Amino acid sequence: MITPTPITRRSALASLGGGLGSLGMISALGENGGILTKPHFAPRAKRVIHLFMNGGPFGPDFFDPKPALTQYAGQRPEGVDLRTERPTGGLMEVPYQFSNHGKSGLPISELLPMTAKHADDLCVLRSCYTDNPNHGPALLLMNNGTMTPRVPSMGAWTSYGLGNESQDLPGYVVLCPGKPVRFSILWNNAFLPAKHAGLYINHSDLDPKSMIPWLRDPDENPGSQRKRLDLLQLLNQNHSKIRGGNDLKLEGRIEAMETAYRMQSSAHDAFDLKQENAKTREAYGEGHFANGCLLARRMAERGVRFTQVYYGNGQPWDTHSGHDKKTRALAKDIDRPIAALLEDLKQRGMLEDTLVVWGGEFGRTPVSENADGRDHNPHGFCMWMAGGGVKGGYAHGASDEFGFKAVDKPMHVHDIHATILHLLGVDHERLTFEHAGRDYRLTDVHGNVATDILA
Amino acid sequence: MKSVHLIAKAILLLGLLTPVKADDHWAYQPIQPPAIPETNSKNPIDAFVFAKLGEANLKPSPEAPPHILLRRAHLDLTGLPPSPEEMTAFQEAWKINSKNAWTDKVDTLLASPHFGEQWAKHWLDIARYAESDGYLGDTLRHWAWIYRDWVIDSINRDQPYDQFSIEQLAGDLLPKPSQSQKIATGFHRNNLKNTEAGLDKELARTKQVVNRTATTGTAWLGLTLACAECHDHKHDAISHREFFEFYAFFNNTKDSDISVTLDKEWPITTIEKKKDQKELPKPTPKAQALAALPEIELRKTHVHVRGDYTRHGEEVSPATPAALHPLTIEEKEPARLALAKWLFAEDNPITPRVAANQIWQQLFGTGIVSTSDDFGTHGAPPTHPELLDWLALEFRDSGWSRKKLIRSIVTSSTYKQSSTNTFKDRPNELLWRQNSVRVKAETVRDIHLVASGLFTPTVGGPSVHPPLPKFVSEVGRSVKWPESIGPNRYRRGMYIFLKRTVLYPMLTAFDAPDTSASCSRREVTNTPMQALTLLNDPVFFECADTLGKELHLKHGDKTDEAIAETFRRCLNREPNPGEMATLSSAHYDLLDEAKNPELAMIATTRIIMNLNEFITRD
Repeated sequence: MITPTPITRRSALASLGGGLGSLGMISALGENGGILTKPHFAPRAKRVIHLFMNGGPFGPDFFDPKPALTQYAGQRPEGVDLRTERPTGGLMEVPYQFSNHGKSGLPISELLPMTAKHADDLCVLRSCYTDNPNHGPALLLMNNGTMTPRVPSMGAWTSYGLGNESQDLPGYVVLCPGKPVRFSILWNNAFLPAKHAGLYINHSDLDPKSMIPWLRDPDENPGSQRKRLDLLQLLNQNHSKIRGGNDLKLEGRIEAMETAYRMQSSAHDAFDLKQENAKTREAYGEGHFANGCLLARRMAERGVRFTQVYYGNGQPWDTHSGHDKKTRALAKDIDRPIAALLEDLKQRGMLEDTLVVWGGEFGRTPVSENADGRDHNPHGFCMWMAGGGVKGGYAHGASDEFGFKAVDKPMHVHDIHATILHLLGVDHERLTFEHAGRDYRLTDVHGNVATDILA
Repeated sequence: MKSVHLIAKAILLLGLLTPVKADDHWAYQPIQPPAIPETNSKNPIDAFVFAKLGEANLKPSPEAPPHILLRRAHLDLTGLPPSPEEMTAFQEAWKINSKNAWTDKVDTLLASPHFGEQWAKHWLDIARYAESDGYLGDTLRHWAWIYRDWVIDSINRDQPYDQFSIEQLAGDLLPKPSQSQKIATGFHRNNLKNTEAGLDKELARTKQVVNRTATTGTAWLGLTLACAECHDHKHDAISHREFFEFYAFFNNTKDSDISVTLDKEWPITTIEKKKDQKELPKPTPKAQALAALPEIELRKTHVHVRGDYTRHGEEVSPATPAALHPLTIEEKEPARLALAKWLFAEDNPITPRVAANQIWQQLFGTGIVSTSDDFGTHGAPPTHPELLDWLALEFRDSGWSRKKLIRSIVTSSTYKQSSTNTFKDRPNELLWRQNSVRVKAETVRDIHLVASGLFTPTVGGPSVHPPLPKFVSEVGRSVKWPESIGPNRYRRGMYIFLKRTVLYPMLTAFDAPDTSASCSRREVTNTPMQALTLLNDPVFFECADTLGKELHLKHGDKTDEAIAETFRRCLNREPNPGEMATLSSAHYDLLDEAKNPELAMIATTRIIMNLNEFITRD
């Protein structure tokens, strides 16, 4: 009979040639586990909340007034024959009233009355452009910096570079009440270590148990579970070492297990909107997007580096027909939650170091499609940023007189990425990862920081 | 680094500026029998792979040890791990003659009824197989499994791939079609179907035909057709008009359920009995099938302007895209049957390439064309074009025998290489080693069941309803999920009832497709959700519980023996001394904590069942 010899844990661990010290794998990294031991510049933002209007909104409906569209409605004057996805008709009027808001007098349309109260916080980017008029490539470019799949997304790069201030949640969280087109590729880590992949949460059902199944192990107390997990991880490390020690997927699974363990203790709370008081819930309003915004604030509060809130399943902003009716409904749905999020962050003193970004994968055409719809427009579109070191009450760049093409201070998606990284204290040219014989970075060989918008 | 990068960039840009003519695209070129490179390897697959490695100054990895190889072959060919007894016998045979031991084992596995299950699963992903309509109503398809079993059976009897395909696309149009050939047409009944009240019926029908058109493109041609529904695709082989010409092949069918006689009496009615329910009357099995419309009801097909079915463009007749090999439809020959046969015409280079690549992908974790669903100009180019052509010809010339092709791949040294990764950041496109892959969602479940001894190996039959977690059953609209009892709780993951709006959460967490569209390549993600599922899903608890109890009963306080057996059952190997020391010590602690030797053994078992290695095919 073999009696269990009372080997001490320490000696047992030693016999595997490792120790618990090797588990965390955070030596020689920055204080939050990022690859940068210190930022390249003084960071203006510590975290990002990206509100993603998947499908693509039309900037002149909200932030870029174009009276010429009324004047030339139904016509196709010179300059509007740019190539888009599908055949288009004449110019289509924007029927919404604009007025100037805040001390800055930033023009915002009547569709967003509550957001307009934060005009002095908004830095509207009127001259964004991208490369491709189709959803898939454009979503990839906006998220991953290239139209070719299989490179890391912006959130993954951020988590990789700066690490994560949350002890218990992953550094990159993606909220969507359903699935955006292209799905998990949009938040994948590709060749970066797997812990930088976005944690996708479908928040269409708000019960934390639905959002994150199997949070609790009913049988175990936390102490003994931790002990068992240490052991498990030690054996996993050992296996990984025997396998050559270079398998990123194995390392990723070890880290996923760690995150899972830490989520057990806190994710239930983090995702539980019931803990918000009635006043806050009311301020954000109802609906998936409102819930997403509130969850995003809870993520930001807990130190999650990058949170994305996709507006909805599929591509709800893709208004190829019935643009006006759909846009009114969409605007109504986002106005209150956005205003509440900005206000909430401000009250908590978090807006100054949280960068809020709003936009789609591209914009829409000033010319009509299917009589009352608008086609995809990669040539010029609007986004805005707020908080985190950007000028408030400011409109950057300009589109042509119809809002079709970016003409003044055009900002390519690469420039947007370079600027976001800059605000986080990262030089986009120096956050690289060597893979398959060359250095990769989020902005490829492009990207200029839009210094004009820095506060 | 930069200079390499800039050149790559320039090439890419040039590619974008010079429109790629579909006619020149590699995938549509005729297959020429490739010259097998001169190497020391007798096996042509190895010759192709090793020659490329040589050009890149790389060496192949050594052969994996026999216990790894046996587990690999079992998981790849049957989706189930070997038993400790099979392992012992294999290791003995290996000592006598390793080559014979391997080929004998491969032949045994190819003949296993579980082979058909494993390879059917891949096909069912492509066939977007599910057992409900989808959409809001999500009406159940009680007899969908008859088609699923047809696929398993067809693969088990190694029905030639051309026949397998022709029957699924046009079995009803074959001369005097058999029941089995009609069941095969269930392939195109698997699409989503909207039956909501007040819907536009023609729109709903159009959507189904569009899905059938696109699925046919993905499955057999590696073509992404979906975009061409609405507009011309700049870079692809198919125009807007051609899409509707292709669509026309599927526009004159109707859904037609057929009464069938099953060769096996299934003990339970398709809707399992609730505890307090009386015996249900035995319904007549009705397979979902497709049938041609009678002459008088034939529809004309028009181009749908911008994909809008209400806006008819020019009228079109069934035709295949001009970039592909020509199709001539004989007089009186039904167009859909002609299309199915056209896929297997001598001058079609793409279908054999796509099919061989799908098989390769299942044995290496990634295809020679990594975008196995997209052989178009946006897809990835092949890493080994000559090898792909060799495999394609081998497949066709063997009379489209799936088993023969798989056999020639798994008996190659390329397949048998160790998957150990000794070089940091060295990509494996050239296959200097096997890939180590996390097993598929269903297999994660299956290996737990097998290791615990709970597994019910029944092949085929009505799907089962293992307990659904409360967070699914308690939310939203009421979920009818008649919980299976007895051995049916422990069937393979592929037999879990596939209701589109209530996908089994464990399977979804491990990247099972959502069945809304054809899927020839599953994503492999790595998420904390998966770790949580493994840690806390009651099914996995139950497996550890059962195994722990059994081993405690068998080995008593001989914990080292119990630990060793757990390793053999879960990981198909012996623990190394370090692992043994660690786990014995841990067990000692657990015993101290639990004050109950059985509970301590269960806890130790849980640790082993949560190891990465358990769900990895190395």
